Amino acid sequence: MSPVSDLLSGGVHLALPVLLAASGELISERAGVLNLSLEGMMLTGAFASVAGALQSGDATVGVLCGVAAAVLFAALQAVLSVTLRADQVVVGIAANALALGATTYGSRVMLGDDRNATVPSFDELPVPGLSDIPYVGPALFAHTALGYAALALVAVIGLAASRRTGLGLAVDAAGEDAETADRSGLPVRGIRYACVLLAGLTAGLGGAQLALSEVHAFTDNMTAGIGYLAVVAVIAGRWRALPTALACVFFGIAQALQFTAPALGVDLPVAVLVMSPYVIALLAVSGLVGRSRAPACLTVPFARTG
Amino acid sequence: MSAVPSLTWRAPRARPAPEPFRGGAAPDEARSSGADRADATVTLELEGLTKAFGATPALDAASLRVRAGTVHCVLGENGAGKSTLCNLVFGAHSPDAGTMRLYGEPYAPQRPADALAAGVAMVHQHFSLVPTMTVAENLLLGTGLRLRPPRRELLGELDAVADTYGLSLDPDARVDALPVGIRQQVEIVKCLLRKPRLLLLDEPTGVLDPAQIESLMATCRRIAEAGHAVVLVTHKLAEVARAGDEATVLRGGRVVGGGPLAGIAQSDLVAMMVGRRVAELDPLLAAGLGLEGARPEGVGPEGSGADESAVDAAPDGGGPPAPGATVPAAAAATSAGAPRAAALAVRGLTVRRPDGTTALDAVSLTVARGEILGVAGVEGNGQSELGAVLAGSLRARSGSVELDGHDITAAPPARRTRLGLGVVPEDRLHEGCIGELSVAENLFLARLADFRRYGLLDRRALNRAADEVVAAHAIRTEDSRAPMRTLSGGNQQKVVLARELALDPLVCLVASQPTRGLDIGAVGAVVTRLRDAAARGCGILLISSELSELLAVADRIVVMYRGRALGPVRTGEPGARERLGRLMTGADA
Repeated sequence: MSPVSDLLSGGVHLALPVLLAASGELISERAGVLNLSLEGMMLTGAFASVAGALQSGDATVGVLCGVAAAVLFAALQAVLSVTLRADQVVVGIAANALALGATTYGSRVMLGDDRNATVPSFDELPVPGLSDIPYVGPALFAHTALGYAALALVAVIGLAASRRTGLGLAVDAAGEDAETADRSGLPVRGIRYACVLLAGLTAGLGGAQLALSEVHAFTDNMTAGIGYLAVVAVIAGRWRALPTALACVFFGIAQALQFTAPALGVDLPVAVLVMSPYVIALLAVSGLVGRSRAPACLTVPFARTG
Repeated sequence: MSAVPSLTWRAPRARPAPEPFRGGAAPDEARSSGADRADATVTLELEGLTKAFGATPALDAASLRVRAGTVHCVLGENGAGKSTLCNLVFGAHSPDAGTMRLYGEPYAPQRPADALAAGVAMVHQHFSLVPTMTVAENLLLGTGLRLRPPRRELLGELDAVADTYGLSLDPDARVDALPVGIRQQVEIVKCLLRKPRLLLLDEPTGVLDPAQIESLMATCRRIAEAGHAVVLVTHKLAEVARAGDEATVLRGGRVVGGGPLAGIAQSDLVAMMVGRRVAELDPLLAAGLGLEGARPEGVGPEGSGADESAVDAAPDGGGPPAPGATVPAAAAATSAGAPRAAALAVRGLTVRRPDGTTALDAVSLTVARGEILGVAGVEGNGQSELGAVLAGSLRARSGSVELDGHDITAAPPARRTRLGLGVVPEDRLHEGCIGELSVAENLFLARLADFRRYGLLDRRALNRAADEVVAAHAIRTEDSRAPMRTLSGGNQQKVVLARELALDPLVCLVASQPTRGLDIGAVGAVVTRLRDAAARGCGILLISSELSELLAVADRIVVMYRGRALGPVRTGEPGARERLGRLMTGADA
């Protein structure tokens, strides 16, 4: 394969966990809840999926465990930030510290003995024919079963959350003007709960995808910031579905450059490439990459006065 | 009532406008039909409804009955509990005590969704529309959590509403691009689409111009004629006269009176609202209540005779009569000296909003020393920006501002203050004072250096000085050390005004909506202070959306219309009100 093809394919594969997490986070932020705990949700999902897969010997059970654990973790964020109206940023940061500690400890306790055991994982299932298309083929048609499911889910979420659907309208109303949504008869807190749990679901899947489709193992802090990257992708994508997805792929390619840069003849220190997504994120937030406008009620808890 | 509903929103006036009620004399059609409906079904029944926020009861054992097919007006001053009543019925608040019945059934909404499900809809004072969405998207919000919104059905229903009520909307317009009058229509249509049995309107006319108010009242009548019940909350009696069948008056959270409007004189309603006899009211305050030209009939012994001439002088009862009696006195008080130096001169001021639209379009105006220049206009025509530019919180694109001969176009607020520009900002709680600091600290925030002792702040002297101001301005607070936010709106305004009027030198005062949200007593206090300051030679730029108030206080009035300053109109001139009304709606622009 050519280096460019490698780069594209590697980029999409690296982007997939971020894309999954970002799709749920996009919906959640449009409903008004910022989940910095996305990182913790992904890490929890990755750990629980590996633990589940090892225990049961079945990768699919592993995925279910990963998703369940991440949704539970998201429920913590939801209770604290929606019901108890705690500061969403503080909750997110604390939750991430908790997740890092818990999964590291958990991996010592549960995975300690069979650290080197083979984790039941997903194998790549290239689509015959399609995966041979130059450049695009390996990027889009050489994923694992979980990978295809993830792509499909992301597409469904992207479509369902547009303003052309009643659901998308309700979500946007809850995030743009919670009081109006409430007065229109929409269950604002219910919507926000559902959206945070959805973010947990997609982040858990993202963690499972990372652990069971890509790495085939759990290592301490294996997400290493890609949860934050997903939050950044939503901001860089200005809270719109397609730009967010493109941001994810871009970040994936930036990461993939680490591995393919030498082959492409680019002589850059790896650390610079690792930095690049965050530099782009800063540019996006600072408004240098076009003006961005967050949902008006993002991070603002909702309560009826009196 | 006209039997055939008009197909246009600007409907012909349903009945002669602010004709004062005379007990029983010459009842018009609507009033007799109101009497006929006396034993119609009771739509809403409130019994002993009580709600307190903190220690203060906002609503105290309120009871009332709203009949189907009627427009029921809920009257009261600011803070009388009107909005609380609406919010309880709409389920936004839960009552502390008391019961509600809807069509005879017990009714206890826990949230707005419950109220909507029961057929109760509400038009909110500050609108409940998502600004970044289109009209259609906002209207679809109420249709529930569905994957496919019923867009086509919506368009059909919109046509039906347009036919029935004459309210037609562009479904694809973005709400934040619409003028407030149209947003109000969207809000009403949003309610009508739910086919409510009971429609609550909370102070719906605050942002509308006279023609829009007229058509809104016509819509209220039509909704009532369709057999629904309408609760119209207002503090403007002219509206009650136009649309109401029955009224309930609230004061201090209690129901103090009410009944079919046919049996109550308008002056009695005012007396109930204010708790004083109308004849004792300053004419200006009456104007603020929308009582212009109204006869305080049967109240003061000397009242009716004196006002008779004013009403008769009005042009054939069609338009609202000018408050002829009040203007000359006010004008005489302030326009004594003939040639006056300019306190404030604004030339060619142009401001663009962040979205690129023009907020101020080459505005030029001059405020002479000792003069009160009023700035009228429907909200959103550039008044806010004018106030902000003069205060120094918004930068003009071009043009100049001169204060007493000093160019202050680009001056920071501190320099403006030093040169003698007082500012009463539109949003007094956020821009005019600091809620967490004490009254004393707020009063002297810019002059804390005057209260220095051994390099530290001499709090005793500070509080003593504040106590004097509090007494002089009759500011109602327990203590000058109380946090500013604990004061009522009227008293906060008095503090801000006292601080700005204490500037030395004081060349010009820019007051933006200084009486908004204040009750009549506070309005009177603010207006008296402004007049006194003008009499002492200070120029005053008074930006207000209450035309009656401006007519009573100002010497000249300019009208803001789409960012341009039209006029000025001298308030003493005959036909000034009509001319201003035409300028406000752009008819003369």
